[in-house]
Amino acid sequence: MRQLVEVGILYSRSGGYALISNACRDGAIAAIADVNADPDSPILFQAVERDPEGNVDRYAPLAEDILRNSSARHIVGCVTSWSRKETIPVLEKLGGTLWYACPYEGFEANDRVVYTHACPNQHLVPLIAWVVPRHGPNGFLLGSNYIWGWETNRVARDLIADANGEVFGERYLPLGETDVTRLIDEIRATRPSFILNNLIGPSSYAFLSAYADLARQDPYFAPESCPVLSCNLTECELPALNGNADGHLVVGPYFRNVAEDLGWPLAGARRCASSFEAAAYSSVRILAEVLANAGGGEDTDFSGAFAGHAFSTPCGPVRIDPRTHHASLPVVIGRIAGNDVDMLEVRESVEPDPYLSRYDRTKTFGRPALRVVS
Amino acid sequence: MRRSFRIPNLGGATALILHRPHPTVTSIARQLAAIDITARECWPDLPPDGIAADFIFFDADLGHDEQFPWKPGEAQMPMIALIGSEAPGRIEWALHQNADAHLLKPVGNSGVYSALLIARRTFDARRRQSAEIDELRSRVSARQTIVRAVTLLAQRGIDEEQAYAQLRQLAMTWQMSMEDAAHHIVKWSREGKAGERTDIA
Repeated sequence: MRQLVEVGILYSRSGGYALISNACRDGAIAAIADVNADPDSPILFQAVERDPEGNVDRYAPLAEDILRNSSARHIVGCVTSWSRKETIPVLEKLGGTLWYACPYEGFEANDRVVYTHACPNQHLVPLIAWVVPRHGPNGFLLGSNYIWGWETNRVARDLIADANGEVFGERYLPLGETDVTRLIDEIRATRPSFILNNLIGPSSYAFLSAYADLARQDPYFAPESCPVLSCNLTECELPALNGNADGHLVVGPYFRNVAEDLGWPLAGARRCASSFEAAAYSSVRILAEVLANAGGGEDTDFSGAFAGHAFSTPCGPVRIDPRTHHASLPVVIGRIAGNDVDMLEVRESVEPDPYLSRYDRTKTFGRPALRVVS
Repeated sequence: MRRSFRIPNLGGATALILHRPHPTVTSIARQLAAIDITARECWPDLPPDGIAADFIFFDADLGHDEQFPWKPGEAQMPMIALIGSEAPGRIEWALHQNADAHLLKPVGNSGVYSALLIARRTFDARRRQSAEIDELRSRVSARQTIVRAVTLLAQRGIDEEQAYAQLRQLAMTWQMSMEDAAHHIVKWSREGKAGERTDIA
């Protein structure tokens, strides 16, 4: 007799980041189907789905709705950090757990959240470290006006300083804003070594399109010379970019091409199309395994369930650090080519360090050059 | 402009939690472990090596001066008060210890990281300010010495403005503050050695 377990799904089907949230949802739904189709699994999942429609104020009430009006204790969901932070108080109040399958800015390790995508030591730090020796240390930082952009750029400022570079500009756009003229003018005027793009959805698409125009006018801004760096751009958004991101650089724990080339495990019978899909798929599979091992009760002691255990996922074997609830993940640096990403460098299984407590400037950038001290 | 942020290098730091065994202590220890800080619980007193800790969390409800091997307010590391009862007397006692930040009990899933950063910043600022105040105090008390040195130099046939300029020049030559230079001139004059110094002639 299999145990029926309700599990919350809290992804927006529409709104500015719908491509990402639908990719996450695809992964979670596929994993539920695979668990249910596995006769050996003692768990039978039933999705309790709510759609916040891209409205940040809908996440907390809908999470509360799931936790109060169904038996679900686990929710797979949230894309933006803003929505995750809105949801956490509800989780704490009602004893729910959020499985969060998106890259984020770090500096959080909540007991009620399991973080299955990358944190800064698994995205931003290795990406900047890869770019600086090849393109130079001077960055122009962009972001949408909320915590992901603010905090990621904040860490980037420190990394750039540690690389003896300069921040030539730091600009934010309101979520959804598509007028990027001023950003492009400033970038044209300052000629940085690279651009760090933490814009989200339509703002990001508008920027990459305008930047491709700029590159056609001035070859300095071609991707091989002055690349755009993204820590959250994946295959799920590339079709919306019409080739405008070609040649630019990304980082993530998973890219479809790379998983194919390196022979990483399939998700059931299929290959996940992006890291968002892979991380949400992993979340549900790990949850199923934890619940199966717990043999019933859903109020699981995660620290015990995670300790010393590697879970099989589309990114290969993944461990969850019992202290931080963050995943050890591969770090792949890639170059965008059409609807795919070509691998430039891969590191397997990088331990999570959400507070950058183990960040070491010398290890990241090599010995610092001598600087004039005035 | 002073930079407002550096990737805070907290990894490998040690923190003591001076509190009786309690879920609040477990919660703080868990949050510290996530930040890669080594935490140690202690009660009722700080252990001898407590003096080498990087941070101290202390119970404001049951705490008292004798728990610490230093005079109240003279801790050499940032102190974070754990406040349960908001009784004015207890808050006053925590402030008397120079609490640099506080957490309200019960401590849940968060709060420790911001308390650490606020405490570190407050502690550093207090230290810097008290060093600056010491320095300014000693300068103020040296004012009289400067007046006497200028008067002594002026006795050699120059006006006070020139004497003051000479004092400044001597301080630069000797690579010391004007206060220290003035102190030397007054001392040599008192010892009758000023005549031997050709540089102040």
